[in-house]
Parts: sequence; structure tokens; C-alpha cells
Amino acid sequence: MPRFWTNPEFVRHRRAELRPVRAITVGVVIVVMCLLLGLACWSYEQNMLESAQRGLEAYATDAWRNRVQQIQENISRQTWLLFYRWLIGLQGVALTFWALFSCAQSVSGERDRKTWDFQRVTRVTPTEMLIGKLLGEPVLIYFAVLCAAPITLIAGLMGGLSLATVLSVFIFLAVTATFLGLGGMWLSTLLESRTRGVGLIAALALYGFTLGSYGMRESGLPGFAAMSPLMGIADLLGHGSMSRFGHILPVLFGHEVPWLLMNLLLCGSFSAWLALMLIRNLKRDYPEIRPLSRWQAIGCAAFLNFLIYALLNPAGMMDSLSGMNRVGWFPDARSVALFAVGINGLILFLMGLATLTPQERLKVWRRKRATGESRLFADDGLPWPWLAISAIVAYALMIWGLLAWNHTLPLEMSTLQGAAIRLLVVLVFVTRDVLFLQWCMLTRLRQPIVKGAMFLCLYYAAAAVVTGLATVSSQAAAHWMLALLTPVEVFDPDVHGIAFPAATYIGLAVQTGAIGAVLMAITSRLQRPLQSAAAA
Amino acid sequence: MIELVNLRKEYDDVLAVDDLNLSIPPGEIFGLIGPNGAGKTTTIRMACGLLAPTVGRAMVSGIDVSREPERAQQYIGYLADFFAVYEDLKVWEYLDYFAHAYNLPESEIPARISEVIAQVNLEVKRDAMIRGLSRGMKQRLGIARAIIHRPKVMLLDEPASGLDPKARLELRNLLRSLRDQGATIFISSHILTELEGFCTSLGIMERGRLVRSGSIEEVTAAATSTRLVRMSWAGDSLATAEAKLRSDPRISEVNLAAGSGTFRFSGGEEDLATVLAGLIAANIQVTSFGEVKQTVEDLYMKLSTHEVM
Repeated sequence: MPRFWTNPEFVRHRRAELRPVRAITVGVVIVVMCLLLGLACWSYEQNMLESAQRGLEAYATDAWRNRVQQIQENISRQTWLLFYRWLIGLQGVALTFWALFSCAQSVSGERDRKTWDFQRVTRVTPTEMLIGKLLGEPVLIYFAVLCAAPITLIAGLMGGLSLATVLSVFIFLAVTATFLGLGGMWLSTLLESRTRGVGLIAALALYGFTLGSYGMRESGLPGFAAMSPLMGIADLLGHGSMSRFGHILPVLFGHEVPWLLMNLLLCGSFSAWLALMLIRNLKRDYPEIRPLSRWQAIGCAAFLNFLIYALLNPAGMMDSLSGMNRVGWFPDARSVALFAVGINGLILFLMGLATLTPQERLKVWRRKRATGESRLFADDGLPWPWLAISAIVAYALMIWGLLAWNHTLPLEMSTLQGAAIRLLVVLVFVTRDVLFLQWCMLTRLRQPIVKGAMFLCLYYAAAAVVTGLATVSSQAAAHWMLALLTPVEVFDPDVHGIAFPAATYIGLAVQTGAIGAVLMAITSRLQRPLQSAAAA
Repeated sequence: MIELVNLRKEYDDVLAVDDLNLSIPPGEIFGLIGPNGAGKTTTIRMACGLLAPTVGRAMVSGIDVSREPERAQQYIGYLADFFAVYEDLKVWEYLDYFAHAYNLPESEIPARISEVIAQVNLEVKRDAMIRGLSRGMKQRLGIARAIIHRPKVMLLDEPASGLDPKARLELRNLLRSLRDQGATIFISSHILTELEGFCTSLGIMERGRLVRSGSIEEVTAAATSTRLVRMSWAGDSLATAEAKLRSDPRISEVNLAAGSGTFRFSGGEEDLATVLAGLIAANIQVTSFGEVKQTVEDLYMKLSTHEVM
């Protein structure tokens, strides 16, 4: 971030948002709000003291006397601490929310105002544009936080917190806000002006997901909870890691690490991927946007797989309420493999979405392929070969991950064999669905990916209905239907090794045939002659 | 200065620009004309790097715009048919933003801002908020933005649409002064009078193809091998004039009425002078005699296949 204060995009936002009158007003409002909040905290603590004193007057017991004494001794520190918590909590919510939503309108807003093209034709590089927007769009909230920072610092120190803790909270907030800002900006690049409403909903979902990851702290992958700003703030203030399962810390390769470190690792790495996608695409025309190159997409899929094994916590937890030892998410290697296959279904689908080829590029690829100038594994080709590579990489990482955890979760050969078949079935279904979406992109549908995804939902709903109807006949028939039409049957944990029912293998063959049919439909679409502009 | 090589753009099933080859030398004002949907905007957007060509390349000052967009864009000034500006900035702040965005040396920026503000007659509004400017002023500010970095190539896409006559005249004068400073100008329009007496070369585009291109003289020559001559005379000499003209094998399409008329002549200036001398010698009192210069509109109507008109 060299000399961001001279970045033209940042300077533009600073000038527009922080004119002297507005800056002074914001500063005054922040100070007044802090004073009011401080008074409210002081009043709350005084009420606590008065209430205890009334109790002492009424009952005159030692317990009440001790309580009053304790409050009187700590009232100053407690007031400051309460004040600090409110300040940091409000700043956390405002900063993360504002950063996300202002960045989520950055590019789509420029498109809407028709100023985007003029920015794109300047010499500003995508990296400069990214830094300028990331720091410039939410500049007002950064300024507000800066105004409140000295008061927050004093409150924290007076409340008995160490300087390191107070600074850590600020670092935590800055990292999370940066991650959310990048997420918002990425959403914004994907939106045309007419779909801005959808973008705001997506931004809300992203915010909800980030906050909601707090719930992951009691899961088999507790490290993912570090994505939530709630986790970091609460932990640094001495509350977040406490649950009914005791003091929880995230694990990295089986070793406990501080929440702040995990937050830096996760937000930092996800931010790096988002930054890569943005730098690749910021100066591209809307139809040309493709989040990642094919190799980058494989790298991203591999990284996500790697995270699963790195953050895995196979240990059970002791429930402090019932005194029972709760079995964790992953009691054995087979459950880890099953989970990894399921997650890879999602990862492969997302990767497929990220690597769909625009019609124009696909046609050029096909023409070049016909003359031998282009390869099957080209960046503008069909996505299926890359999905296959990604699945192979995922399987290789699964073997590595399960072997790494062998000391805790003993690995059997049948687990790896079963996982291979499961992953193959998932890959075939995902490939079919992704190719279907690719075909939709070649049609004249408006918003083909959204409509294609809706058709897929309809397909799976129909498969559920057909399975339901088959249940009337027999359970076996229902299982057959499920195995033929969906990948659900391969997630049956009772199947060992490759001893899957025949329906699974028949389903595999049927879906491979379906892939062939979609490929033929795509080829037929690509062979259609072009119309000249005016005739169209 | 501008070179488009086998440029092609496909949108879904539509071929917007079809194998366009064009070379515009420095100092030229090239007018690209054609109906709406002919592919003019797509061509300009590819030339300035806003749109990646499906096949082919666009070169500006010898730089491939697709491969090195940031380097190429220091030479390009782009003006579209809309003048969107940042309403929450002041006039000088807006220009300062683009001056920095085009990497102008820091020390030059204040003077350059004053210079372009003067060029577009916005001195009194230098410190005004953009949201308070009239539409015409915003348009002038848009022009100032496009020239702030002294581009060698101006790519103008329907730049005068929505401008009032005075603003059009100002734009014309500004572009002329840019040309005098050595800029190459590529201007697209479907309003043919906009380009009248202004362009040094022309291209006619239809259905994504460049139907004809070259200097005005070349295009005119290609449009017709004969020149249209208008004459008028005093007195009752219609029959004599008609007989005299029809007797000349170089003259065709004689269309005379009482006192005036036109005919087509295939020959040079001196040959035309002999025709005039012949008419006078035949006692026809010629009051005016001269070639009717063809307008861009005439050329376009002649050369266009009008397939979409």
C-alpha cells in the first residue's frame, strides 16, 4: 500500500467525503456521542452502586457490605471498561458494516453513474484502483473511528486493559473491515446497475455469514469462527472463547493458536484471493469478467481443501453443563473423508461457476481447436477438464490430510477407496451441472447463470418428488431413484470401500451419458452462424 | 498513429465488427460514419481499450491497446456521447483527479488545470461544485477531462450529441485547435453535418464492415467519376443551352429549366472552362456556373447500401 494518501482514487473520495465542514461536524458528533455514552456508562455503574447501598441499608449483612465495598473499589475501572466495550462494539459494527456496504456499491455505482469507463481509460492500474476504492469508499467511517480512537484507547487503558490488547482489537477490526470491504467490492464488480438490489442482499448475506461464523467455534473446524468480528472482540476482552465446552481456542495442524492470529491468517488469505480476483478484473469490460484463470481456480480449490485439514479439530469436547464428553464432528477418518467429499462438491461447483467461458471466447477457442491452434486445457476452453484436475488435486490433498491425521484418526485403505468413488460421483454430477450452465450461457436467456441455476434447482426438486413417489412402491426403488438422479446416495456412511450398490454405478454411467449430451448441445450451439449487427 | 488490424468483435450470436482494417496517419481527422448499430461505438471502444477484440488488434502510437492498456492510454483522449462527471467534486478537483490518474508530473498539474479550464471557458467556475453546473458546462468539463493529459489521439464517439448549436461550434473549434497542435482525431457520428468541412478522411461503416474509407478526395472520386455542375443564365436561352450541352459527349444528365439547371460533366477543370467558354460564345448570358461540391451526406447516400436505413 505505498503512499495510499496520494492515490488519486483515495484523494477523490477524501475530497468528496471529508470537506472541512463535514469533517469538523463528524468529529464533534463523535466526541459528543462518546461523552453521552460515557455518561450513560457512569450512570449505569452509579445505579449499580446505589442499588447495592440500598440493599445494605435494608439488610445490613456482610454479603451486602462486601458487595458495596467491591463496587466502590472497582467503580472507576468498571465504568471505563464498560465505556470501552460499548465504544469498541459500536465501532466494530459500524466499521465492518459500512466498509462492506460502501465497497459493495463502489464499482456498480460508478457503472450506474456512467463514470466507470472514464476511470478505466486512465493510466490508473487495477492495484491502485483497488487500494483507492478500498480505503476511499469507507473514508468517512475510517475518519469517525480515528476521531473516537484516542477516547477508546484511554477508556481501554483506564479500564485495566493492556496497550497490546487495545491495539490488538483495532488490528482485528481493521483486518476484518478490509476483508469485508474486498468482499463487497468483488460483489460490486459482478453487478450491473439493474441488479444492484441483488448485490445489497448478497452483501447482507456476506455480513450475516461472517458474523454467523462465530457459531463455528464449537464445531469440528473451530478456526473458521475467527472470521467473525464478534469472536475476536469478545475473545480479546476475555469472553468470546468461553462456552459450555470451556475455553475454546482454534487449532492449526493440531496446535492451539490465538484467535487474533487465526483471524489474521484467514482474513489475510481470503483477502489475498479476493484482491487477486479484483486486480484481474477491475479494468475489464463487464462481459469479460472471469474471477480467476483456470490454474488460479485450481489453486484456490486446493487452498480451500488445505484449510479443511489444517483447521480440523478431531477432539471431542467436554460439556460443562451435562458433564458428558461430546463426540466431535470427526470421530474417525471416514467421517473426515465424507465431509471433504461433500465440501468438494461445493468447491467444484463454485470453481465451475468461476471458470465458465463467455460465448465469444468459447467460439474462438472452438475455431482454433478445429485448426489445431488451441488445446483442450486452454483458458478459454470448456471447464470440464479443469474440474477433473481440481478433483484429482482434492483427492491428493485428502490422502495427504488423512495421512497427516493418521496418529489421531487411524486411516484404512477402504476409506480412501470409498472416498475416490464418492468424489468421482460428485465430480460427474458437478460437471454435468456446470456444463449445463455453460450451455445456458450460449442461449439467448437473460441472466443465463441465474436462470440455469434455477433450472438445476427445479431438476433436484423433481428428483426429490420422483424419489418420494418411488418410496410408495418400495424403499429399494427410492434408493435406486436417488442414486440415478442425484449424488446423495454416495454419502451413506454405512458403505465401506467401493461396495456401493449397483444403482450408484449405473447412475454414474447415466450421468456420464448426460454430460456427453450436454457437450453435443454446446458444440451445436457453437456451430451456429453469426448474424451481422444490424440484422440482429 | 491509429492502426486497426483485422479487428473483429462478436457479441453472443452477433457479429458487431467484421475484420476491420484501418490505418489513420498522424494529424488526420478521420470521420467514421454509419447508421445506428453499424459498429462505430464498438470500434471506438476497442480502439481505446475499453473492450477486448474477439480477434485482431488495435494499435495506438505503435502500442497494442489490449496488451499494454495503461501505456497506450497515456496517448488516448476518449470522449463519449454522455458526459458523466463526479457531482460531489469541484471543477478543479475533478481535473486534478484525472491529471493524477494520467500520471502527469506533479509540478505541471496546477498550470495544466488552469490551461484546460481556460480552453473550455470555465474559469469563473473553477472552484464551483460540479453539481451546480449547467448541462453545457458539464459537457465542457468532460471535454477538459479528455484533453487534460495532452493526448496525441482523440477518440470521439458521437461527441456532439445533445449539444446545443453554440456548444457544437465550440467543440468544433476546440477539435480544430487540437488538430493544429498535431493531434490525430477519430470521430464517429451518424449526424453527417457534424463532420462537414471538418474531416480530412472518411470511413463508411455498415453492418460491422467498413464499406469505404480514405481521404475525402479519394472517397469522392470513388463515389462518382463525374461532377455535378449547376448553371444559371439570363434571358430565354433554354433551347440553345440544352442543344449546346447535349452536343458535348462529356456531358450527361442534362436537367435544365427556365433560367437554371444542372448537368454532369466528366472531365477536368480546364475542360469545364472550355464548356463555359462555349456557352458564352453561343450568346448565352451565363450568370453563374460552377461545380456543386458534394456534402458528406451526399457521399454517404451514394456509397451506403442503406441496408438498415
